[in-house]
Amino acid sequence: MTRTAAHEREDGEVVAAVIAAADTAATDPLAAAKAVAAAAREVSDMMRNWASHIPWEDLDGLDTLPAEEAARFFDEDYPAIRADLEPMWEPATAAAPAIDPDEDHALDKNAYDFFRPVGANLLGRTEEFHGWVEARRRTETWQYSRVLEAAPSGVATITNDLSKPARGINFNSQDYLSFNAHPEIREAAVRAMRDFGPHSAGSPMVLGNTRISDELEAALGALVGLEHVTLFSNGWSAGFGTVTGLVRQEDHILIDRLAHSCLQSGARAATRNITRYTHLDVEAVRTHLARIRATDSRNGIMVITDGLFSVDADWPDVAALQEVCRAHDATLLVDVAHDLGSMGPGGTGVLGIQDMVGEVDLVMGAFSKTFASNGGFVAARSPAVKQYVKMFAGPHFFSNALSPVQTAVVLKAAEIIRTDEGDALRGRLFSAIHALRDELTTRGLTCMGSPSPIVPVLIGNEKLARTVNRLLFDRGVLAFMVEFPVTPTGASRFRLQVQAAHEPEQAREAARIIDGALRDAKEYLSSAFGNSF
Amino acid sequence: MYDAVVIGGRCAGAAVGTHLARQGRRVLVVDRSRFPSDVLSTHFIWPHGASHLNRLGVLDQVRAVTPAHTEVTIVNDGIALRGSVPEELLRNQFRLLHGDDHGITTEYFSVRRHVLDKILIDNAVEAGVEFREGYTVKELLRDDDGTVVGIEGRDGTVEHARVVVGADGRNSFVARALGIGKSDERPRCTFAYWSYFSGIPDAPAQIHRRGRLGMAMASTNHGRTMVLAWGPSEWAAGFRADVEGNFHRALGLISEEAAGTVAAATREERFYGTLDQAAYLRQLHGPGWVLVGDAESFKDQCTALGITHALRDAELAAAAIGRWLGGESDRDTAMAGYAAKRRSQTAAAYYDYVCTLAEMKPLRHDELQLFSTLRGNQAETDRFIATHVDVAPVSEFFDPSNVFLLNDTARESSRDHGVFADFEATYRDHHRNPFQRAEAEGTR
Repeated sequence: MTRTAAHEREDGEVVAAVIAAADTAATDPLAAAKAVAAAAREVSDMMRNWASHIPWEDLDGLDTLPAEEAARFFDEDYPAIRADLEPMWEPATAAAPAIDPDEDHALDKNAYDFFRPVGANLLGRTEEFHGWVEARRRTETWQYSRVLEAAPSGVATITNDLSKPARGINFNSQDYLSFNAHPEIREAAVRAMRDFGPHSAGSPMVLGNTRISDELEAALGALVGLEHVTLFSNGWSAGFGTVTGLVRQEDHILIDRLAHSCLQSGARAATRNITRYTHLDVEAVRTHLARIRATDSRNGIMVITDGLFSVDADWPDVAALQEVCRAHDATLLVDVAHDLGSMGPGGTGVLGIQDMVGEVDLVMGAFSKTFASNGGFVAARSPAVKQYVKMFAGPHFFSNALSPVQTAVVLKAAEIIRTDEGDALRGRLFSAIHALRDELTTRGLTCMGSPSPIVPVLIGNEKLARTVNRLLFDRGVLAFMVEFPVTPTGASRFRLQVQAAHEPEQAREAARIIDGALRDAKEYLSSAFGNSF
Repeated sequence: MYDAVVIGGRCAGAAVGTHLARQGRRVLVVDRSRFPSDVLSTHFIWPHGASHLNRLGVLDQVRAVTPAHTEVTIVNDGIALRGSVPEELLRNQFRLLHGDDHGITTEYFSVRRHVLDKILIDNAVEAGVEFREGYTVKELLRDDDGTVVGIEGRDGTVEHARVVVGADGRNSFVARALGIGKSDERPRCTFAYWSYFSGIPDAPAQIHRRGRLGMAMASTNHGRTMVLAWGPSEWAAGFRADVEGNFHRALGLISEEAAGTVAAATREERFYGTLDQAAYLRQLHGPGWVLVGDAESFKDQCTALGITHALRDAELAAAAIGRWLGGESDRDTAMAGYAAKRRSQTAAAYYDYVCTLAEMKPLRHDELQLFSTLRGNQAETDRFIATHVDVAPVSEFFDPSNVFLLNDTARESSRDHGVFADFEATYRDHHRNPFQRAEAEGTR
């Protein structure tokens, strides 16, 4: 029998009848056996074959047993069967453990769930998001808003936003060559303060720049091999400003789907003709460029990528990208914020590793990772591009210039980066990087990307990542957990940022602690998922 | 001595048996029931499931008796999205998981289990599998160090094998016999009731959500249409007090149009239901045994992926067993490879996606705005559908650079969607259980 008739009872009702009948067995086992058998025979084929752990044949035949055997069945065999019948009849949530609403709320959702709030009142409608943040804070799963108690080095003392202190091995600061504590860098800052004061007092287009701004432009130009450099007061502005300064509504943008937020935002502000291409995929870029050029030879195309990707620790084949751009009259923009100064021959970053110094259309960067200051830049081969960006990049024209102190710090950093000392610092940095990656990998954790100052440890699931984050805070490792909107949903991770000041043994110790916290978090959540994509 | 004994001869079991037999292995498949027969299932097969059937060589047979479509309609609180799973994403998925992309089809269908399971097991036998139906396993045989080495049947027969495959479903005997516990359990899930109707013309599948309720209509075999309604487990007790009345009440609350279609049709079978859809994972393998399909992992019916994932598992497990038996790698390495694919973070993200959906919380303003934004953007609508059914990774659609771009390049406004008219009141209403006795009486 494979099909049933419309008048037959639904299985849940029938199973309930089996249970109810069996419950009368103590008073009259024979009558109970008869009723159970009759109901059991009504159970559909579907249910019988699904609930294959129930001995349906035994139930069907109960009414053929003599009274004492039926009584024995109900006494001895039936209790276990009832335990299996019960969940088929009781809604699953009836058996669910009690939930801590704060914990539940905090581990659920991500920031995007609050991006389009309801209501006409712009201020009032922020409350729902705030409720979520508060739940995360109360459960110590909110990774933001921590503050330093002193200058960050390989070790740091911090306080979270509940005023709870922690001290630990610090992978939570971006200062790859540990320049924040370098005596010459500090001396340069003091000298600039003495010579120019703390304030630049104007847009770089007006009178915000000083003599050392020109020196800095020249030094950066030499480092990336593109002579014409424009400074921005922060790195985000450099990316956003470069894209919006050059690209117009009818132009096209091809952007790596994981490129930095400032570039994605710049792209969306510049044009609706945006194609996000598969991460690092040069062939995809070629296909998209051919498709665009097949119908549009009038407008520009900008291809945008990071050098070292800041949460994946990998980098594109820049030479191949530049070549395919040339072939289609497109312009390549590479963001070297994380790799310039911290890796590559003489600190030339990903471009230097690929022998592409001076060969890329546009290079932009930020000073905040290696150069110990706020600020950013874009470098081009021609003075025309420079003048145009200065005029039409809003964040350049309409922001106050880098302060003299910042300018002096970055200039000194750019000088040290190109010396033997720079090489030695990068050597120390990479010793710690290798120690960290090796220990993590040996322990079965997934380090994404390639050896670089960014060591991303994949966690994936947000619930798990937030739980590890809570445990780690008290265990002597300061590490930043990244989730949406830094990473895609389901791809959260710890982004460990290594410094030249880290000793290899500190790195190994941190890896051991992270491994322990991850194991404990998995046990807490009873999770059996692994740690690779 | 068999290379493999497979316990359970339905989707996962017949498929794993077929793949192994085609590798030249000696395989015995046993099942408690006799075929053709039915089993509790919402029996929907998405394009990757259909592609797996094609790779097994049975797609044409299934298609000959089962209506198929490529386009599906998904309606959330009245906001309709229509699209299909893109072939390119299917190909990516197969290359990633199985190393090749032959046999891809973009069709989906709903096939009754008494039809599908019979075709699958006959195909297995044709591939060289030995099949015993009506065969109940009494116990698993283990050697001194605990390795599973075979089975003993209720009829007293003893069969030895190098590996025993548990393809015996949610209530797996193998898992029980080995005492394998569950992890990642998610008791907050749906309840579902369904039946089969005549008088509804063959049409692409429709999936509707409104508030905490869902319904689906899909053409299936014998000229019938399956109509399924579901809701949050917390409301199950109220619903089952009057299955037929509440079934139609639910349809009416979700979509008046769909309810009208069903009201004019004739119900041809009894109602079927399931109250226990709680998700879980089980350990996948151990010395001498491996689990596939629902036995290793179960997810709520709300995205209808049970069969599709069982067929995927079968292919992955058979490939792993083949690598071990063929001497390409040792047993533990081969099985770890299977486990790595099934327990990846991509799988975890999808597991979370389904489990969150299965809680059947009313759709939030943000979610509905996203659906509204997707309208008019066919490529991303298709990618969303592919993500919803686990063809594309959650992390590729729900990527910040994508969702913010969707927002900034929206082609339609949300003005015309009624749900936004007084969203807060509607959202509050959606939390009220319409199946509570008093309320049900009131709306009768």
